[in-house]
Amino acid sequence: MTSPRRSSRVRRELSRAWAITKKDARIYYLRPGTIMFGLMFPLFLFISFAVGRDLSPQALIPGLVAITIFFSASSVGAMAVPTERRMKTHERMITAPISPLSILLGEIAGGAVYGAVMTAIPLIIGMIWYGFTIDHPIGLLASVALISFGFSAMGIMFSAMPTENPGDVMMILNFVRLPLLFVSGIFIPIEEMGRYGIITLISPLTYANDMIQYSVRGSSAFGPEIDALGIAAFTLLFLWVGVTLHERSRKTA
Amino acid sequence: MNSIEVEDLTKYYGDFCAVDHIDFDVESGEFFGFLGPNGAGKTTTIRMMTGLSTPSKGTVRIMGFDISKDPIEAKERFGVVPEASNIYEDLTAWDNLNFAGELYGISRSERRSRAAELLDAFDLSEFKDKKVKGFSKGMRRKVTLSMAMIHSPDILFLDEPTSGLDLHSSIKLKEILRDLNGRGTTIFLTTHILEEANALCDRVGIIVRGRLAAVDAPEKLKRTIQASQSVEVSFDPAVPGLAFDLEDLPAVTSAEKKGDKWKLLTHDPSLVAASLFEYVNSRGLKIVSINTLGPSLEDAFLAIVNDQARGGGSR
Repeated sequence: MTSPRRSSRVRRELSRAWAITKKDARIYYLRPGTIMFGLMFPLFLFISFAVGRDLSPQALIPGLVAITIFFSASSVGAMAVPTERRMKTHERMITAPISPLSILLGEIAGGAVYGAVMTAIPLIIGMIWYGFTIDHPIGLLASVALISFGFSAMGIMFSAMPTENPGDVMMILNFVRLPLLFVSGIFIPIEEMGRYGIITLISPLTYANDMIQYSVRGSSAFGPEIDALGIAAFTLLFLWVGVTLHERSRKTA
Repeated sequence: MNSIEVEDLTKYYGDFCAVDHIDFDVESGEFFGFLGPNGAGKTTTIRMMTGLSTPSKGTVRIMGFDISKDPIEAKERFGVVPEASNIYEDLTAWDNLNFAGELYGISRSERRSRAAELLDAFDLSEFKDKKVKGFSKGMRRKVTLSMAMIHSPDILFLDEPTSGLDLHSSIKLKEILRDLNGRGTTIFLTTHILEEANALCDRVGIIVRGRLAAVDAPEKLKRTIQASQSVEVSFDPAVPGLAFDLEDLPAVTSAEKKGDKWKLLTHDPSLVAASLFEYVNSRGLKIVSINTLGPSLEDAFLAIVNDQARGGGSR
């Protein structure tokens, strides 16, 4: 394929994927399940951890930001895809002239935008009420964008489960998400985990939390380069597994 | 030129063969009906033809593009109306059409004019800003059809389009389909309503147990079973349901009550008509109406399905 044709095809795919992102924003952002698992759940989880501890906002808020992105970005796809399967609207997208990868990218972008917007809530509250400061604001913006995309891809990967019930996907997703909270340096810093700290390396949330810590405080366990590489690697893995599983279910349909 | 070419199309689910090496073509501008009993493989076939399911073997070409190898090019040329209206209930009719237009890469200005034109054609203009969750089944069907037509496709796939519609909506939909076909759109219709296929289709394909049992014009299929002509008669007062003596009339092979009428199957309609006048005179009845009928598409369909069930070949 020649280069102008390829670039026109890429533009075409991206514009159709963006249509899916906009559609998701209109339909799923205000769904009770998305708000419950995307915003309320991480907030209450964190409050139950923070209450009674004498920790500064500077120490608390980066963890809250990481949890909020983690839960909110991964919830939209997990809610949207099975719902669309039930309503048969997912079939509408498959019969449309758009590649399976672009359909998933559109859904992932929908989750990523939601995750980024939800993250702004604890940040703004922290800055206005608690005088919370950010060392690298641009770095934080870039981190939130990268992390949201990665966790949204994780939600899409789980949505490949052959079910029409969003609750089934959420249940399995939470079965994975909740344990990751405790092995990602959020509640227990990696430095304090001793030789068990090695298990934090298998959690994408570790790199996300570390990257946010760096953006906010200027220091972190791994440094921004390793964090970015870690998140990018997990994002590619989620994307590859997600596309493969979604395609497999189409082949057996 | 053929709009659709299906070659050796096959689908296995494990060991079960749902669609068994079927071949057929649909010409450009043709209204093609795809018939079959429940579970015969109609929906599996249409799902493979529209890219929803991958064939185990065989090819489907849409306007020359292989749906497996060039899916984007193939999909740009058709619209799909599935059995269940797949619209976004939380969006308005207008937003549903706009989303469909965006998926087909139609420019903003063209989307707007096309959406307005379609909503107007389907008498939905005054509801365009209402969420479709409040729409009736017929209105949802119209929105689904409008979404399938937003990009003015060359081919329209319809899976049981009148299923669940009231009579008025069903008649209106059929008028729309005829009009579309008249303007050159190729239509591929699956239905279990044989009268619908008879009234609309240029040709029909009949699939039984995953195999294509017949492909031909409805009238030609009917001609293959000339033996089943019939006389339809209505009496006053009505003759009760167990009037076995109707079967004793000369040349009547069987008598079947259909509402307020009797359908008498025969090889010789004129002899049956003559003997019916003797029948009514001897019983003090009057004939309200009498018609001689050729075999219906339903008769042809049943003959083909039964023939296949006995292991017959394709026609």
